[in-house]
Amino acid sequence: MDMSESMASEKKCLTGQCPPLQKEDEQVVKLSEGSGGKEMHRLIAEATSHFSSGDWKHTDEDSSLLAVNQNNVLFTTDSYVVTPLFFPGGDIGKLAFCGTVNDLSVMGAKPLGISLGLIIEEGFSKSDLFAILKTIGELSKQAGIPIATGDTKVMERGSVDKLIINTSGIGVAQNVLDEQIEPGDKIIVSGGIGEHGTALLAKRFELESSVKTDSKPLWEEINSVVHLVKQAKDITRGGLASVLNEIAQKEKKQLTIIEESIPLLGEVRALTEILGIDAYSLACEGRFVCICSAKHADAAVEKLRVFNTMACVVGEVQDGSDVIVQTRFGKKILSMPSGNIVPRIC
Amino acid sequence: MNEYVQKIEDLAKEMGEVRIMEVCGGHTNTIMRYGIREVLPSNIKLISGPGCPVCVTSQYDIDCMIELALSGVKVATYGDMINVPGTKMSLKDAQAQGADVKMIYSADQIIDEKDRVFFAVGFETTTPMTARLLQQGITVFCAHKLIPPAMRVLVQEMKIDGFIDPGHVSTIIGEDIWSELDIPAPQVISGFKPEQLIKATYVLLDLIKNKEKEVVNEYPEVVFSKGNPIATKIIEETMKVVDSEWRGMGTIPQSSLAPKDPKLDARIVYKDILKNVVSQENKECRCGEIVRGMIEPRDCKLFGQGCTPENPQGACMVSESEGACAIAFKYGKSLSE
Repeated sequence: MDMSESMASEKKCLTGQCPPLQKEDEQVVKLSEGSGGKEMHRLIAEATSHFSSGDWKHTDEDSSLLAVNQNNVLFTTDSYVVTPLFFPGGDIGKLAFCGTVNDLSVMGAKPLGISLGLIIEEGFSKSDLFAILKTIGELSKQAGIPIATGDTKVMERGSVDKLIINTSGIGVAQNVLDEQIEPGDKIIVSGGIGEHGTALLAKRFELESSVKTDSKPLWEEINSVVHLVKQAKDITRGGLASVLNEIAQKEKKQLTIIEESIPLLGEVRALTEILGIDAYSLACEGRFVCICSAKHADAAVEKLRVFNTMACVVGEVQDGSDVIVQTRFGKKILSMPSGNIVPRIC
Repeated sequence: MNEYVQKIEDLAKEMGEVRIMEVCGGHTNTIMRYGIREVLPSNIKLISGPGCPVCVTSQYDIDCMIELALSGVKVATYGDMINVPGTKMSLKDAQAQGADVKMIYSADQIIDEKDRVFFAVGFETTTPMTARLLQQGITVFCAHKLIPPAMRVLVQEMKIDGFIDPGHVSTIIGEDIWSELDIPAPQVISGFKPEQLIKATYVLLDLIKNKEKEVVNEYPEVVFSKGNPIATKIIEETMKVVDSEWRGMGTIPQSSLAPKDPKLDARIVYKDILKNVVSQENKECRCGEIVRGMIEPRDCKLFGQGCTPENPQGACMVSESEGACAIAFKYGKSLSE
């Protein structure tokens, strides 16, 4: 670097591109408040305290429920940003379509249609844009879930990062998956966890890996067990640790899982060990946890194995609180992940 | 039951209190995650050592990087470092205020960014990558620490009966360095799986019982006697050994590295920006005693009370992979609580 010392010593932006600095004491939103952990839950709680949700129920769940002429109507929305936009096995379009479809599906709702909002940065490659839209189009066709409406905004260069997608979805459920869980109920995971998170981390940190995102629409899978399970929840940001803690807190039960039974691809295990990252906290985009009575567990697992051979029972519901992991040596509490997921240094 | 747990129990019956330090934060993570302390007999104490890069980085160094970032200098550093609180804020706070702070996993990610300063932290494991950046003409603010000089201080001050030596550090510096250290306590180099750590503990207890001071390599699949000669060579070519201030341990002679080329040493290049940096450690935070193994995380009154991984008051609460407090917070809650 041949920058002169006198230039460097002036306390101003050297590149001319830095945004203005805030005052030190001003409260600002931090990146970790969007990472699916405790901080995000607190931000959402504060944000939603400003609204009324009328007759809608389950407003803190994946989709909200409204009874309309004796039909169970479910409604959900989500915005998608991801770096990089294209990653092994998918792109942001796949996440945006599947995420909303899955939020409806885990409540037991058959998705009827999806909206698509695009916020595009000036200068964004058209071929990338159309590749992403093609992904959405193909998924929509395959799943038989139409794109019912949409909106497009183009923003000045630098004011958004390439592309943001918002999708909303509406669906109807014959049986809403909101049944109370009880001690003795079994906890099932629908496939190997953390594959999406691992694929993204490997791409972001330029590590060789054949792990692909697990992102996919889950309606077909959930529909196959909808009559057997009491509740389902898709595993997203915050991973299995976050989903299980949410269930334990909401249901005021203890969830005990057996570490050795958690489905994990060998390569995911290896990469998480190399990076020093907890696989329990890694994101999925096409996996879910469901809870059913013990007598239905085998049947549910058999149905789910048609879609993913790694589906299995990982633990059971007990009286108490917290999520407990039974390791090879002893029991440990699995806490709600907090902060950003960062690789270890040494 | 693991066969070595049984063997440890048998050995422990014939011994008084034994103080073993696991130097590496990665080892602390495995020990806590699998509940290894709970399966060991009560007279065998595992004490967490200083092996967490962000924990031992001095407050002053962190404040310097924040000052640089807020002055408009582009900076980069490894994961957890951006969350460590400085005197007024963390690099993450500086980032939220608009400073250009890049979080990286590998130094290679900034090898073409000659206008970015690399905040180099970590032990011997990460120094070869920094050396590579220096070869490519990247400016470095060097806060690398060397483990062996710190162990020499700890063995005297803390009455440690034996050390579990860090596995990753040993892959770089090799097995022989530990023997040359000539400290009055045996050492076992271990891998990071729970079974490996339990076996290492058994081997170490056996050495302690027999009053042997030797070094045993229980991680021979990746740790060789001379380490990694390519890595040590580029370190020697680009960096020199200097005295360094450690959080909680004061200045340890010959315990850090600095770029040989002053034009690539950010402490020199940016001395005008850095001359006004004044640091003050949070007086209630006891990270300094924790990295020395003097107290347990729970002995600090801030632990869990205002100091949590999402809002860390001290460096040890930042890294869930290597920081003693963050690991204790994540895995240490007892089931009866």
